[in-house]
Amino acid sequence: MSVASTAHHEQTDSVWRDLRQLLSFRNISAIYIWVAMVILFSVLAPETFPTLDTVRIVLTDQAVTAVLAIGLVIPLAAGAFDLSIGSQLGLGAILVAWLLRTQGLGLVPAIIGTLAIGACVGLANGLLVTKAKISSFITTLGMSSVLLALISWVSQDSQILNLGSGFQQIANRQILSIPMSVYIMVVLAICVWYILDNTYLGRAVYATGGNAEAARLAGIGTDRVIIVSLISCSLLATVAGIVLSSSLATGDPTVGPPYMLPAFAAAFLGSTQFRNGRFNILGTIVAVYVLATGVKGLQLIGAPVWIPELFNGVALLIAVAVTRRRSSRKRARSAETTSLTADQAA
Amino acid sequence: MTGAHGRTLVRVEGLTKAFGATTALGGVDLTIHAGEVVAVVGHNGSGKSTLVKLLAGFHSPDGGTVDTRTSGGSPTELRFIHQDLGLVGSLSTVENLALGTNTVRPWRRLRRSDERREARELVRRLGVDADVDAPIEMLSPAERTIVAIARALRGWDELPEVVLVLDEPTAALHGAEVDQLMDVVRRVAEHGAGVLFISHRLDEVLDVADTIVALRNGRVVGNLLRSEADYARLVELVAGHAVEELDRRDTGRGTEVLRVRGLSGGAIRLFDASVHAGEIVGLAGILGSGRDDVCAAVFGAAHRTSGAVAVHGREVAAGDIRDSIRQGVAFVPGDRHRHGAVMTMTAVENLVSVLIPGATSPWHRVRRRSELREAARWFDACGVLPAQPEMELTQFSGGNQQKIVLAKWLRTQPQLLLLEEPTQGVDVGARAAIHRLIVDAAERGAAVLVASSETKELAQLCDRVLVLADGVVVEELSGSELTENRILHASVPA
Ligand SMILES: Nc1ncnc2c1ncn2[C@@H]1O[C@H](COP(=O)(O)OP(=O)(O)OP(=O)(O)O)[C@@H](O)[C@H]1O
Ligand SMILES: [Mg+2]
Repeated sequence: MSVASTAHHEQTDSVWRDLRQLLSFRNISAIYIWVAMVILFSVLAPETFPTLDTVRIVLTDQAVTAVLAIGLVIPLAAGAFDLSIGSQLGLGAILVAWLLRTQGLGLVPAIIGTLAIGACVGLANGLLVTKAKISSFITTLGMSSVLLALISWVSQDSQILNLGSGFQQIANRQILSIPMSVYIMVVLAICVWYILDNTYLGRAVYATGGNAEAARLAGIGTDRVIIVSLISCSLLATVAGIVLSSSLATGDPTVGPPYMLPAFAAAFLGSTQFRNGRFNILGTIVAVYVLATGVKGLQLIGAPVWIPELFNGVALLIAVAVTRRRSSRKRARSAETTSLTADQAA
Repeated sequence: MTGAHGRTLVRVEGLTKAFGATTALGGVDLTIHAGEVVAVVGHNGSGKSTLVKLLAGFHSPDGGTVDTRTSGGSPTELRFIHQDLGLVGSLSTVENLALGTNTVRPWRRLRRSDERREARELVRRLGVDADVDAPIEMLSPAERTIVAIARALRGWDELPEVVLVLDEPTAALHGAEVDQLMDVVRRVAEHGAGVLFISHRLDEVLDVADTIVALRNGRVVGNLLRSEADYARLVELVAGHAVEELDRRDTGRGTEVLRVRGLSGGAIRLFDASVHAGEIVGLAGILGSGRDDVCAAVFGAAHRTSGAVAVHGREVAAGDIRDSIRQGVAFVPGDRHRHGAVMTMTAVENLVSVLIPGATSPWHRVRRRSELREAARWFDACGVLPAQPEMELTQFSGGNQQKIVLAKWLRTQPQLLLLEEPTQGVDVGARAAIHRLIVDAAERGAAVLVASSETKELAQLCDRVLVLADGVVVEELSGSELTENRILHASVPA
């Protein structure tokens, strides 16, 4: 055999290996599970499940969760938790309604004002984590409670109605019979994906999450990375809140917190997909829709109302268990990993 | 103890392990007898740590057997010091040493003062006076090694059937500390225990081993008795060829690059130095002498209590790392896991992770192709194996990780290169290549400051060596005075 053809052989071999690795169950298990669920529910509920309407409903319903989860991926990649995303979503939802109705601001100033306040919340989180050195877990847990109080105060615990048709159009206007909220989500996903995956800034975010001290010694401003990632997360949570209020045509003081768990479940489940244990946007979006498909299917075959909560909770636990197992196996397999890094988790 | 060995304690037969396409071990046979010190040598990535991890049950083998029973049938206890030491970073020395000792009655009240006394005793027997209450992560790599050794040795004299497995225990230790450890190893063996000893420092291997097993690409390529081995033979077995050791001639020095005045902080009490372009200056000293603190303090990564550091006449502020990097300073830290690299990222991502502030904008698009091309060049220059830059750093062997961390900083074309233990865990062949790269950098006009626990390295590489003791420079050696012996002599306080 000539040298050239051996080389060629090796190349096709490695292409083949890459492809197998790409399609392996470990890498894209969520896609396989998703396909299995679609088939299962199509058989169990042939009338209602495999319809264009169901597709549209799932797509639309989950746009808000997806935006929230996209935001959450950023601080998680930087090694910081944000447990206040649910309340931040709630704050965005109520603030925009309050500014529009109660304060009588115009559409654009109301939205800008809401986003600015959202960013301030993120900044506060970031400063508490980096300057006051409170762990992100505690910081955002506390912040979450503060925000709930704020929501209650601003809204007087009642809904704010009549937000005007201009505002409703933001989320509900349809293009190709798909509402704007879905387009907003897709655009945001692409932006964040581009930054995280294709710029040095994204590398800096992952490096900070991987080993903050080493990142700092390589000249990365790790404090700034953490602050910026928490601000971005807050901004996206606020956007999600605005979109939610727009699509409901109501400012509702209770909407926020229930969104947190699905977002975490999606981000963690997403981290087990495509990128070998790294938090990533594509995996997260896929996870949002895999979870939503499961919930929708269960509803359509007549499962009781508590099933969605159960489903999301179990999915989060399984996703985290899988990530942990994989990383501990990696630790075992690796030539050397320090046990010192293990306690960075908190 | 040549020839007449005691009973067999561990027998390994046909051990095989592959990671994906890499064969880490391909059919390894090995026997450890009572009273025998078996040394395993081999190039970086030859499978030494994999062998240890298989013995420890971390990995399960793809084929072959590990028999940890003596020829009499009683079980052998294996004690490990892994290359990554395996201590709990947030616990203190006392707590680490006590871990797993009292499994019979775990609810019993802790006897703190007894534990502390025992811990201090154990550590001091190994010649270290470390703070036994400080969390392990605050200790230097050398101190951590000592704690790990102390833990592995705890109570060994009561157990006759014990095998001590040491994976590069000396990588961070200085001559005097190495001697202590070698004494301990010899004593352990004399007492009837078996020892499996892994090191890239071949002098140590020749010093302590009874039997030497050489691995190459996961296969045993040599199994010699101490009497059949000499340094050149071992080098050949490890590197596959004879290695030309560095022979440095004075190339004359240029303008002053680094000027340090009255520096103090950490273990350093007072440090002054001036390093010129083209000059390689070494820092020697035992554990706690301040040797390990100079580079970090100069870089601005560690706290300075007082003193001024100037690069090319411009002041470098403490704590402003981006400014240091902008001025062309590079820092290869001694603690790879904690400071040197992001282990969960790929090799190429680590390699290009230093952005010169101002030169590359963070919004810049990542150019994967050109990064990979660059990685291929550095992999080649430093001899990193396997040549898969997109593999996660954890999956490389220890020595190969070290090469990647070095390449990461050499790539920035520094004006001032600060190195801590630059060749720790690196095999003899690659070590020569790395020395060459450092010398090249110096010849291109960089000033180099290198802190090393390996006196041999300092003697080969440096133009001048500053010996520290107790936080001050006690001796400056250069020219014909610059020998291993002089360095060793000067670093141990009388
Ligand atoms: N978890 C892993 N995944 C993939 N490859 C691995 C993994 N762990 C080790 N390897 C590979 O197995 C080979 C042997 O590694 P090992 O750590 O045993 O080398 P070593 O002889 O200890 O080298 P060193 O002297 O550098 O410490 C290397 O090529 C390494 O890249
Ligand atoms: Mg090793």
